[in-house]
Amino acid sequence: MLYYIYDGSFDGLLTCIYEAYYRKEIPEKIVSKEDYQGNLLSREIHIDTNDEKAKRVYDSIKNKISKQSLENVFYTYLAEIPDLEIWIYKYLKLGWKIGRSIDLNLTDDRVLKIHKTRLSVDRERHRMLGLIRFRLLDENIYYAPFEPQFNIVGLIAPHFAERLSDQNWIIHDVKRGIGAVYNKEEWIIRDIDLKKDMEYGDEEIRYQKLWKEYFKSIAIKNRINPRLQKSNMPMKYWRYLVEKN
Amino acid sequence: METLDKLKILADAAKYDVSCSSSGSTRKNKKGGVGNAHTSGICHSWSDDGRCISLLKILFTNYCIYDCAYCVNRATNDLPRAAFTPDEVVKLTINFYRRNYIEGLFLSSAIYKSPNYTMELLLQTVKKLREEWKFNGYIHLKAIPGADQTLIERAGEYVDRMSVNIELPSTNGLRLLAPQKKRESIIKPMGLITSKIFQNIENKRKFKFSPSFVPAGQSTQLIVGATRDNDMNILTLSEALYKQFKLKRVYYSAYIPIASHPNLPSISGPPLLREHRIYQADWLLRFYGFKAKELLDIENPNFDEDLDPKCCWAVRNIHLFPVEVNRVDYQMLLRVPGIGMKSAKRIITARRSSNLNYEDLKKIGVVLKRAKYFITCKGKFYGIKDMREDTVKRSLIMGNIKRKNINDGEQLTIFSLYPSLILPMEENMTKITGEL
Repeated sequence: MLYYIYDGSFDGLLTCIYEAYYRKEIPEKIVSKEDYQGNLLSREIHIDTNDEKAKRVYDSIKNKISKQSLENVFYTYLAEIPDLEIWIYKYLKLGWKIGRSIDLNLTDDRVLKIHKTRLSVDRERHRMLGLIRFRLLDENIYYAPFEPQFNIVGLIAPHFAERLSDQNWIIHDVKRGIGAVYNKEEWIIRDIDLKKDMEYGDEEIRYQKLWKEYFKSIAIKNRINPRLQKSNMPMKYWRYLVEKN
Repeated sequence: METLDKLKILADAAKYDVSCSSSGSTRKNKKGGVGNAHTSGICHSWSDDGRCISLLKILFTNYCIYDCAYCVNRATNDLPRAAFTPDEVVKLTINFYRRNYIEGLFLSSAIYKSPNYTMELLLQTVKKLREEWKFNGYIHLKAIPGADQTLIERAGEYVDRMSVNIELPSTNGLRLLAPQKKRESIIKPMGLITSKIFQNIENKRKFKFSPSFVPAGQSTQLIVGATRDNDMNILTLSEALYKQFKLKRVYYSAYIPIASHPNLPSISGPPLLREHRIYQADWLLRFYGFKAKELLDIENPNFDEDLDPKCCWAVRNIHLFPVEVNRVDYQMLLRVPGIGMKSAKRIITARRSSNLNYEDLKKIGVVLKRAKYFITCKGKFYGIKDMREDTVKRSLIMGNIKRKNINDGEQLTIFSLYPSLILPMEENMTKITGEL
């Protein structure tokens, strides 16, 4: 059993794929350092991330398979689901074999796995475009904490950079301790570590109250349907919704 | 009056308007402005009734000069009244938008003083939002029936979508429940908006810069179950609206008993299942290439409660089936129950690389529980031997019930949903499931 162990970055994963090709090895599993627990039977190889090697794999996916596939792989990586690395590896191997028509093989398990995961990530990304709630802080910064299932903060930031381009804002992924920070010109992703609780001014509290009141008034009493509400808006997201607290 | 109290009253008064979509517009943000539109629309929350909240849906005022029997805001109804000022609406919209509560504004109004006076106020509000506050988010505005043509035209230049609610599907219903309203006064502004939209598309082709006019199109709403109109009346009307007025959407709202009136039906709850069936049929009209007269006719003017409209159609036309998934064209694939637009497209894509079998269809996302009676995969048929209208129909209904049983674990609720099943089919059911 051959295990590749990498540092958990996307470049690291691409380096693993590069090494597997040039060492003519077929790894059983590709695991990030954090997730790896020793195994008596396995032979482990630690792969050091190498930008150049990663870049070559990146370009090769883009040119020899398709841009679409590259996106699929990146989204799948962002899902951060254990064991998906090996599926990415299998998917790419198939891709280099048959080229850009890979995404037509909708019944192949390798393609199916990647497409399904990509779809879930995409779905959460779209959902979050709506479910993020900004709170106005005293320093004139709009602050939005959230805990997405997948690592999507970088996927939603461009949307808000365009939409709320004249505001300072922070979208904070509390679970992962990272966030997108925007200063009316550009956004970056950085580590965020917040100790104290946020304090809101009168205006912020007023609008939160207005919104809660609106949320209550807009529901039709004869049609109350909590099951439908929960299936559209899963409860795991309620914690950061102003109207649900 | 505080904004909070006004919001409470005027959101409450607007909630029976079902339109919530924020799609179809590609309005961009400008430098120094706030907001943009998202082509596919974004839902921002879901209220306790499970309906999505995308736009800040409010009435400008609920003071009304009309006295329509079905409407909660009718003049003779005793309820708290309020009116916003344009500035209040603007501030609410901008502040909600900046916090990502909403995708934009849906502004409607009762008729205050006169149609023109009301339309003027609405126009003033959207103009302020767009010009003074540089708001580029989505705006859906109600065109007030009976208002001056020029007012409606000017408003159309600021907003993304406009709508005029027909509410009652027939002239007869209108006469009984809203005697002050004339059919013409509703149809006229709709026609006006449609022709302006077309003119605008033409202008955009001719000139380099042409201001857009209602880029996300026009919609309307029909009440289901307040009058004696059957499903066929409603669906034929929708079809005509889609075809002749090129509407983007027709919304349906199950009549909610909010008033008692000799001309109104007395029901305990809104006819939700009926509304659901009409929505299903509406989708069939818009995306699946069906015609209203294929789904309903004089002998069956209403939809089956037990089976969805597509299944009903397929069962009635059982002689067309089964079809071979690996060969049949897209249009026919769409007509197979259990295959939707997405799975039809996936089938077309996937069969370019290999022939599909039954297992493959499951992976692709076809609902085989329904589809199996109508398809063959590589020539093999997985349905039932006896391909007759009534047997297939019965199997389909049984399929639905079994699923419900597992989910709810309560037989009683199922039979209250499908009461017509119990009597004529009691014997058959014991035979098929053995345990009932």
